[in-house]
Amino acid sequence: MWIFNRVVIVLLLAGLFVLGVLMVLYSLDLAGYRLADLPLDSFNQALARPVRNLESGNLNILDVGALVLVALLGLVLLVLELKPPSPRRVQMQRGIYITRKAVETETTGVVDQNPEVLQSSVNVKAQRRPGAKVDVKASVRPEEDVPGVQSEVQDRVQRHLSQVGIPVSNLKVRLVETDPREAKTRVR
Amino acid sequence: MADNLQLARIVSQEALETEGVHSLGTGRYAEAATYGPGEKVTGVVVDRYEVRVHIVVRYPLVEPIPALAERVRERVASRAEGRPTTVVVEDLEVERGVDI
Repeated sequence: MWIFNRVVIVLLLAGLFVLGVLMVLYSLDLAGYRLADLPLDSFNQALARPVRNLESGNLNILDVGALVLVALLGLVLLVLELKPPSPRRVQMQRGIYITRKAVETETTGVVDQNPEVLQSSVNVKAQRRPGAKVDVKASVRPEEDVPGVQSEVQDRVQRHLSQVGIPVSNLKVRLVETDPREAKTRVR
Repeated sequence: MADNLQLARIVSQEALETEGVHSLGTGRYAEAATYGPGEKVTGVVVDRYEVRVHIVVRYPLVEPIPALAERVRERVASRAEGRPTTVVVEDLEVERGVDI
């Protein structure tokens, strides 16, 4: 989110800069830019109605909606900006971390050992507290017993990560039925 | 009191001598190293505030990863001149000829 906010701020500041330069050019009638050429009247008229409505406390539903939307957007951006970023590494215990890549590799190895799994993808997220959030997406043939395979994969992953000592705070296994011919990485 | 580079060399040696450590990692997002004039020690970051060592664990494991990392941390901490010590397990390396 920091990157998004930074992009927004950079664009905003760039826009303000351009606007500032144009204002100087127009107000001093430089380089052929003349204040009289600007369609300020129509701009004033467009702005006058909502401002009048706002002053008289007589806003229509569209104006209220737009103001609420702007306020909500600002609030969401502010919250996202203030939220601390998620850590890059998984904390195992105090002073000891493991990279998300290492957890991914370990998990992928276990998931792929299951003969029913055609291909898999693993996504690991670190959290501010010890333990990793592991999301496994595995593809199986349409005729497979999906709940059975899902439970087996879940057990295997849980057991293996526990054996090697990688703490998992949240493990999700999602199975997708796939035509074996569409499996990209590996077909048994 | 050793300078950062000397300390990084000592920490590197201590970590590599720990049973179960295959090698030192190089960092994922940025190179994990301590730099000196014309020299660098990869896998150990020593600065004023902390000592951080990146390890690659040997597979099969001699013990669970946290226990091994804790042993490394204890060894390194005893040489870290009071600075907080962090161990980062960067990868697991399967030994040649081992069937997993």
